[in-house]
Amino acid sequence: MRTSTRWLFTPLGCAILAGLAFPPAIPAQDPGRINFERYTLPNGLTVILAPDRTTQVVAVNVWYDVGSRNEVRGRTGFAHLFEHMMFQGSANVKKGEYMQLVERAGGEFNGSTAEDRTNYFQVLPSNRLNLGLWLEAERMRSLAITKDNFENQRETVKEERRLKVDNQPYSGALFEGMYALADSATCFPYSHSVIGSMDDLNAAQVPDVQAFFDLYYAPNNAILTLTGDFDAAEAKGLIEQYFGGITRGKEPPPVACSQPFGTGKSSRPWPDSKATVPGVLVAYRVPEYRHGDTPALDLLATILGQGESSRLNRAVVRDQKLAQGAITLMNPAGPRRGPGVFLALGIANSGVSADSLERGLSEVFGTIAREGISEAELSKAKNAYRSRVILERQQALYRAEALQAANLFLGDPDAVNTAWRRTMDVTVADVKRVAAEYLRADNSLTLLITAEAR
Amino acid sequence: MSRTDGRMVGRSVTLNARTLAFLLVVPVAAAAQEFPKTPPPPAPVRPAPFPPFQEATLPNGLRLLVVENRKEPVVSVSLSFTAGSVLDPAGKEGLAGMTASLLSKGAGKRTADQFAEAIESTGGSLSAGAGSDFLTLNANVMTPSLPLAFELMADAVIRPTFPEAEVELLRTQTLSGLQVQLSQPGALADIALQQALYGAHPYSRSPVPASVRAITRADIVAFHRARLRPSGALMVVAGDVSLAEARRLATQAFRGWLGTPPAAAAVKPPAARTASEIVLVHRPGSVQSNILVGNLTTPPGDPRQYAAAVANRILGGGSDSRLFLILREQKGWTYGAYSGLSRRKGLGHFTASAEVRTEVTDSALVELLAQVRRIGREPLPAGDLEAAKGSLVGSYPLAVETAEQVAGAVANARLYGLGADYVQNYRVRLSEVTAAQVESAARSLMQADAAAIVVVGDGAKIYDRIKGIAPTRIVDPDGKPLTPADLVARAAALPFDVKALVVKSDSFGIMVQGNQLGAMTASLEPTADGFRYVETTNIAAFVQQRTEVTADQALAPREVKQTGKVQGQETRIDVVFAGGRAKGTAVTPDPEKPGTLKSVTIDTTWSPELLEENLVQAVLPGLAWNEQAKWTFSVFSAASGETRQSTLAVTGKESVTVPAGSGDAWKVDLTGGPQVVQFWVSVTAPHRLMKVAIAGTPIEMHRIR
Repeated sequence: MRTSTRWLFTPLGCAILAGLAFPPAIPAQDPGRINFERYTLPNGLTVILAPDRTTQVVAVNVWYDVGSRNEVRGRTGFAHLFEHMMFQGSANVKKGEYMQLVERAGGEFNGSTAEDRTNYFQVLPSNRLNLGLWLEAERMRSLAITKDNFENQRETVKEERRLKVDNQPYSGALFEGMYALADSATCFPYSHSVIGSMDDLNAAQVPDVQAFFDLYYAPNNAILTLTGDFDAAEAKGLIEQYFGGITRGKEPPPVACSQPFGTGKSSRPWPDSKATVPGVLVAYRVPEYRHGDTPALDLLATILGQGESSRLNRAVVRDQKLAQGAITLMNPAGPRRGPGVFLALGIANSGVSADSLERGLSEVFGTIAREGISEAELSKAKNAYRSRVILERQQALYRAEALQAANLFLGDPDAVNTAWRRTMDVTVADVKRVAAEYLRADNSLTLLITAEAR
Repeated sequence: MSRTDGRMVGRSVTLNARTLAFLLVVPVAAAAQEFPKTPPPPAPVRPAPFPPFQEATLPNGLRLLVVENRKEPVVSVSLSFTAGSVLDPAGKEGLAGMTASLLSKGAGKRTADQFAEAIESTGGSLSAGAGSDFLTLNANVMTPSLPLAFELMADAVIRPTFPEAEVELLRTQTLSGLQVQLSQPGALADIALQQALYGAHPYSRSPVPASVRAITRADIVAFHRARLRPSGALMVVAGDVSLAEARRLATQAFRGWLGTPPAAAAVKPPAARTASEIVLVHRPGSVQSNILVGNLTTPPGDPRQYAAAVANRILGGGSDSRLFLILREQKGWTYGAYSGLSRRKGLGHFTASAEVRTEVTDSALVELLAQVRRIGREPLPAGDLEAAKGSLVGSYPLAVETAEQVAGAVANARLYGLGADYVQNYRVRLSEVTAAQVESAARSLMQADAAAIVVVGDGAKIYDRIKGIAPTRIVDPDGKPLTPADLVARAAALPFDVKALVVKSDSFGIMVQGNQLGAMTASLEPTADGFRYVETTNIAAFVQQRTEVTADQALAPREVKQTGKVQGQETRIDVVFAGGRAKGTAVTPDPEKPGTLKSVTIDTTWSPELLEENLVQAVLPGLAWNEQAKWTFSVFSAASGETRQSTLAVTGKESVTVPAGSGDAWKVDLTGGPQVVQFWVSVTAPHRLMKVAIAGTPIEMHRIR
């Protein structure tokens, strides 16, 4: 499994000891292999089991194949509202009891909503596997959708929107405005925010919520992943016992999105009453997550706009002092099975106009597209990426999330063992090519954020 | 305990139950399976497969402990020295902490920036810090970068350069952090409790601005040279490495490093307390009281530690513990009440705490003590015991998943001498704890009747109500003793000459490191029956604020109105002064929780001698300036409704040039608030304000007009 570290005594090893000027192209030390099996119950529940008897925890992780992309006009924000509902109790679990049961077992839990999926998970000591499975099965089969629960959570979600989106400067552009990159007529699924509009949230009714649950929260629309310390045979038995009796649901409708690239430059003002200085958000269309260009784009995002030594920080923030901060993000709400987004967000220094800042940002993108990046930058970005993968993989929860993402976005859980190599194989030429191909004005949406009321 | 052959080693009852459970869940006809209507009970705990560790001692005395785990190509290295803050010389508290922070700010051939770039470019991290007992460096790297991590760590501990500029930068940052910390009641309570618990023992001491200012580069060099020596130091390496490899790397990297730190001077252990005593830290105008109750416990490794952990969990270890459920859920007195056990190489301590509304301080303290007493005296309900054990035993594996967590847990156990198999057997030992053991440990280790009690709050409102609970002595936030008479707010007025005040409008540029990021205007104008002072502030994306104070002929405020936005959040102050009272509301940034706002309702006594906080700047021209000028006076803050003592003191004379002009200026420190503010006031009359700086930050205001 583990190759020996004899390389310490090779010329490369000695070079490392001597301290080269830039991080060397280190022979890839593989993240540990995740062994798993995948199967499907008769009711459609997909199960991925990846036991690891060398740890003492187990992660019980469920992804429902539903997110904001499944929402229809007039009903945005439902997937997220639903995530809140899932913690409010079910036939055999009182409101608040879920939290108490998990905490008394010494476990931790959470959930989140994205564009393509909603996840729920608990990490428990391994002898409480049965509790984790029971809790997930329990809410899948008998969630308490009552008027009280619904109205309570609707208020909570509206408050969350106020707190995180409406009352924070620049958040509106990032959590809502950015979605205008997708054409609402041909790609509604990715043209609206995850948190949803206040109007839609206000218009929602209990029967809508029940219908949403029946359609999307069914075993045939769910993937259960277990990682950590468990016995596969025993787990299969429990899964059969708890989930086997849940009735299969109807197949949800397909998600339709057609979004061409290079359809032109779109630039619009984005008034923001909470902002005190201008900002600029530039978003570019990129392909779906599983596309071959994703690894190069991911590294480009790191080099361009993440960290002290990034291109944007050095040029736009420190040297030209156009911005007090500038970052890049790719798919900030998670990977997509539809067209993705690569964006840069800059907040201007006092006295700098949005137009000036936009020119400054464009110049940096243009330079990279023309001249590419250095080997040193690439090396550092790859090391940071691999480091992240390896560090995360130490924890059962992140292994479960990695398997889920590989399954849903790359079509095969085994991609956890192979996909990271694509990033390691990216060359400077690849990065230059994707910068030139995607970071083009005619493939962009620019929001000029100004300090005024909407 | 072995698991390599797949067999469980344990009691036969366990084995049978597990076999039985397995048989029951072997898949049979699915339809026959009932969905359980109650949560399934816990399965038996599998013996913890904690990775084995191996040890070696290098010729120079460095102890090496390796926990090999080849699952991921990552290695975590921790290097600990018995060089914690307990060794700070009296009057130089903060030395160990500063030394730790400076180790990576220039070492070997690398500057601070080069050191950071070297580790970060590999995707790894390296940091250092000092606690009470130990100074520790931690590195987390991918396997191929392990030699580099050793090289950097060795440079940091053997040949740090401590550049003067880095020392001063750290001092500034430390002082700035302390300013904020010491204005927070929670921190004041902790400091007072440590003093009450440990008395003359060094554990009682904490950094203060004077001690941080007193530390010199020479002190840091000396501390490092004496204390960071291989003999007695512990290196724990966890992850993708063997003992042989780690030993080779350590021998190579730390070659030539020798020495033993001086033996720790024997310190008399603090005296045991025989009766409870309250220290009331008087913070006038506080709307909340911070209550801490504590006592000394045992040296680490005491056999009662497991039972004590369970007792603590039941009493106040979480949101379903007694303190939380009773003081918060039942009585509504507090946002949170907790308890905890702290380890020290010497005697550790137990603490129970709550932050409560001023009006219920006495009730909350009585209830807190009652709960501490109760856990040792009342038979423990079985449900409480099982829930607490379940939570502690269950959560432990989540705390030792990663290489970094394992290294930390193992280092901790070894440094504190908790027993050779502490980590491997923690869960088993905890699960074996009985109710009788919990009650007994609580009785001996949680002393409601011989407790050090600290209450930080408004003494004027609470002294009379708590003095009956236990003998009470009063101090101010600096620890200076006060008498009950001192609790009565005695306002000392700032002697400014109203006639010398300059009616004008000043404009300032707000500068950060040479860049103008905003503007401030301050104008004082006469009105029909007094004055109006208006101050506006605009700083980049962060602050847009307008403050207006209307005052009478003697500059006693009638009304303070402030509107603004701080980082997008609306702030306001609306306070009216009349009939000896100040009444109103204030929503302003919370200094204890940066990024959030604190909303306060104000209805308190007030007298005209109290200078309104916003007017301090306006009255500067009216003071009798000279080289020794120093005034201590009472200030009322409309933002918090609190009264405090402030001091204006001349610290020197400087020649100042700002856009508005050049000239000699008195340099003045304004202290007593959350930050130290420096003013430059022109020496020649009229004494106009030329420049303002906020100490510990790069923010300055230069007068333009």
